[in-house]
Amino acid sequence: MAGALRVSLNLESPIPAYRQIADDLRRHLVDERLKPGDLLPPIRQLALDLGVHFNTVALAYRLLADEGWLELKRRRGATVIARNAPRAVDQRQVDQLLRQVSQIAAQLRSAGMSSRQISAALRRLAQGESL
Amino acid sequence: MTSVVWTLMLMVTATALVFHFMPRLSRPDILFGVTVPEAFVTGAGRTLVSRYRTIVWISAAATLAILLLLQGRPDEFGGWGMLMTAVMTGNIVAAHGAWQWARLKARPHAVPPSDVRVASLVTRDTSLPGGALFAAGPFAILLATALLRYTYLDDVPDDPDMANPFGPLAFGAILVAMGLTMAVTLTRRSRQIAVDGPAAAAEHRFRRVNALGLVLGGYAAAILTSAWTVESIPAFGGALSGWGWFVPVPLMLFGFGLNYWMFRVGQGGHRAVAPAARREVHGDGTPDHAWKVGGLYYVNPHDPAMWVENRFGLGYTLNFGNWRAWLLVIAMMLFPMVAGRLLF
Repeated sequence: MAGALRVSLNLESPIPAYRQIADDLRRHLVDERLKPGDLLPPIRQLALDLGVHFNTVALAYRLLADEGWLELKRRRGATVIARNAPRAVDQRQVDQLLRQVSQIAAQLRSAGMSSRQISAALRRLAQGESL
Repeated sequence: MTSVVWTLMLMVTATALVFHFMPRLSRPDILFGVTVPEAFVTGAGRTLVSRYRTIVWISAAATLAILLLLQGRPDEFGGWGMLMTAVMTGNIVAAHGAWQWARLKARPHAVPPSDVRVASLVTRDTSLPGGALFAAGPFAILLATALLRYTYLDDVPDDPDMANPFGPLAFGAILVAMGLTMAVTLTRRSRQIAVDGPAAAAEHRFRRVNALGLVLGGYAAAILTSAWTVESIPAFGGALSGWGWFVPVPLMLFGFGLNYWMFRVGQGGHRAVAPAARREVHGDGTPDHAWKVGGLYYVNPHDPAMWVENRFGLGYTLNFGNWRAWLLVIAMMLFPMVAGRLLF
């Protein structure tokens, strides 16, 4: 596992804490900074360090396990697993995410960004680059 | 002057000295238990600290003066015991008053806690320093002594003051169990404040040295109670007649060394790293409002941590908003009763 891997949580964000944790972890997984075989910190450690309830971190790990990124084992904690074959597409989830993207695109246009700028930014994000 | 007066004078001076250094024991951006900008601590906060110290030393001087005035007639105040209690209580209350006053003055400069929390994804070592076998050592000592005592059961005359010949060993076992529980929970249920880098390593080392102190305290308890038991066996009593002064010496030296090391590296080991290495570390990860009675007690039911860094002195304190912490508190409160039943 590469050093300086972090997960952050914004208490003022309207996004639930477990989703923020899962989103951060997913970003590391997609960027391959977390690789198959890597062991994630125990739920208790991450919850203590973030100052959240143990269930919040457990929920985030469970979410990523359901997506096929992690394997959860009693006493061994959460291990990153190979996710070579993408899981069958959940059309409902994809539709929901695309709806969110369209809402964000509309907000960006109303904030003054051009369509070209928005698509360039989205392309960079899709290629795993940071903005 | 009698030796009692000298002892009292020494105690009053030592208390003032402890309170004198107290503001500098906290993390660099915590002053009088309040999270403030580091610039305030090194700037305007200095004046506040020197005023606080002036109050502490004036109250200590006043206590000493009262003590010297009353030294010739302790019986008018209920004897030396009452006088000692009154003098020490008055001195500590006055020093605490100075602390509370300074805390009130520091409060307007408090910085709100950050809304963003960050944690490392690297797994920490939460095992006991030295490992489980080393931690079990005190129990092995106690067990070996119990077997020895059992072997000589008929050789030892009955002690009318002792409830049970194995009482001291059981008392030692409880002490060891409590120390180990504290060490285990400290390593496993306390928060890492610095996320990564040298500051995190220093903080981790600070926590582990504290846990090691608790484990070694268990060894001291086991050795002391074992020596107490072995001394009652006629075949060994003579050989161990000198243990009374010998055993506490290394314990005291270790305690002194540990405290000195903690004083040197500062709370959470922050002085062990360069300021640049702890640039990202702010406060101690606890909100100011959860610190009660002038920053002495931490009560936060929303914080899963059982132990947090002390804001009054070095080391760690319990989160009294955590039910697990209360189990430990109850065990500590029951301890004197259990000890009384076991020993006498």
